[in-house]
Amino acid sequence: MLKSTVPNLQYLKQSTKHGRVHRLRPSLMAKTAPLKRVIPDPPPPSITAASIVRPVYVGLTASLRKPHESAECQLVALDPTVFHHPIRRDILHLCINHYRDSLRQGSANTRTRGEVRGSGRKIRPQKGSGRARLGDAQSPMLRGGGVAFGPKPRDFSTKLPRKVIQMGMRVALSSKVLEQNLGVMKTMDWPNGKTKYLSHKISSLGLKNTLFITGEDEVPTMLQRAIRNIPLVGVTTSREVNIHELLKWPRVMLDAKAVDFFEQSLGKPYASVDDTPVQEAISRL
Amino acid sequence: MASTASRSRISLANLSPARGSLHKQKRVGRGQGSNHGGTAGRGHNGQKSRSGAGIKPGFEGGQTPITKLFPKRGFVNQNERVWAPVNLERIQHWINLGRLSCSPEKPITARELLFSGCIHDIHDGIKVLGDGAEFLTSQIYITPSRASKSAIRAIEDRGGQVVCKYYNPLALQDCVKGRTDRITAAPTRRQDIMWYSKFQNRGFLSPDLLKKLGDAPFVEERWKLLSQQLGKWRKQEFDVEKK
Repeated sequence: MLKSTVPNLQYLKQSTKHGRVHRLRPSLMAKTAPLKRVIPDPPPPSITAASIVRPVYVGLTASLRKPHESAECQLVALDPTVFHHPIRRDILHLCINHYRDSLRQGSANTRTRGEVRGSGRKIRPQKGSGRARLGDAQSPMLRGGGVAFGPKPRDFSTKLPRKVIQMGMRVALSSKVLEQNLGVMKTMDWPNGKTKYLSHKISSLGLKNTLFITGEDEVPTMLQRAIRNIPLVGVTTSREVNIHELLKWPRVMLDAKAVDFFEQSLGKPYASVDDTPVQEAISRL
Repeated sequence: MASTASRSRISLANLSPARGSLHKQKRVGRGQGSNHGGTAGRGHNGQKSRSGAGIKPGFEGGQTPITKLFPKRGFVNQNERVWAPVNLERIQHWINLGRLSCSPEKPITARELLFSGCIHDIHDGIKVLGDGAEFLTSQIYITPSRASKSAIRAIEDRGGQVVCKYYNPLALQDCVKGRTDRITAAPTRRQDIMWYSKFQNRGFLSPDLLKKLGDAPFVEERWKLLSQQLGKWRKQEFDVEKK
């Protein structure tokens, strides 16, 4: 994780427009004067097109164990390729559909005319009765007959390219950051398994309607026990979390380890980090 | 990008697919408004409008189909081998670019040629051909399945060495995958044994070649043994007149 400790600094909102070339609009008032367009010199050519990224900053939330009043205000610098991805609702739509397809049980079943119990005897003679011709009694035309083209147990799961699913995770995390609904904690340790104290702590921190995502391999037992009965709060590991949960929960709280996990598994390569806004802000202090 | 002020948060309730990405399925026989109702696109009566009306593919209504008009011809030779050709100038070019390298300890095999991109498919084995022999400048140590006479001449003039080795399909796969735990099989067919026993082909069973190579690094112990065993036919006597 890109970390910087900046004391007494407010949360910085990230500007996303980098490197735009500014052009002056031609003057509309002076009809006789010649049009003046000031176009700056193009940037010097680079040997490799190395990407320079600006991290996205989020304020560090106090851990559950720490005292509520915290003197310092720490910033967490997040990888923008994961947490500042352009929002693609259609990708989210694809990923959610893929996930929900995989949940379908697909166990609807009906009996066809071959499976309905009954003999194959011809019900009435072909000719002579004056009525329509009929074969056996299990035909779908008849009452008590089989179903024509009814549902059969099948697999509704669909395939989605792995990279689309990964982009979906990036978009989901970025949307949470954009809505200021993503928080980062250093750790999610909790000493005892008492629901009462944790519930009180969460309410006082204002972390209701939150999904806690820890980067450990398993959710710590004490935390699991204390949190499982608190309404409107959930906990999961970074390995198990899926895009459906990320969108369902209004707010998401990440562990430092979880941030590392997402940055490693979802991050795209970049050449260097440009944190000039933060440095300028520090120098202005 | 969505700003938090104008829209509520992105949730499961406000996702939609990309415009134009979904197309409604064509459902026939569902009323006049759909343009595919009534006869459901099948026209009126006739064999094709019936359920299960599958006419055999290739059936031409009784006329002799094109697949039956012409007589069968020939047979497929199961022993046919398709060699993947590689010319000397291509090998030299690859060496110049640094994509291929060889030494007496590590001769060029099918694996190196495939992985460097000199050859795109191994087929039944590699055959080294002599096109562009004038461009060959480096010493090459190569163990293909076959080699043309001009290629052999050109390589040996430059000081390199060609040894044609027998690869059956399994041996070829092991060579490409780099598996050395299995012993590559000896040739069983008479034609193969005869071919690989000839010095003019630089076959690995040829006693003259093995004598010439002596203790070169890429010579395997097994070749000498096989050469002895499979070369016994030279000394065997048949139909000796009883005196």
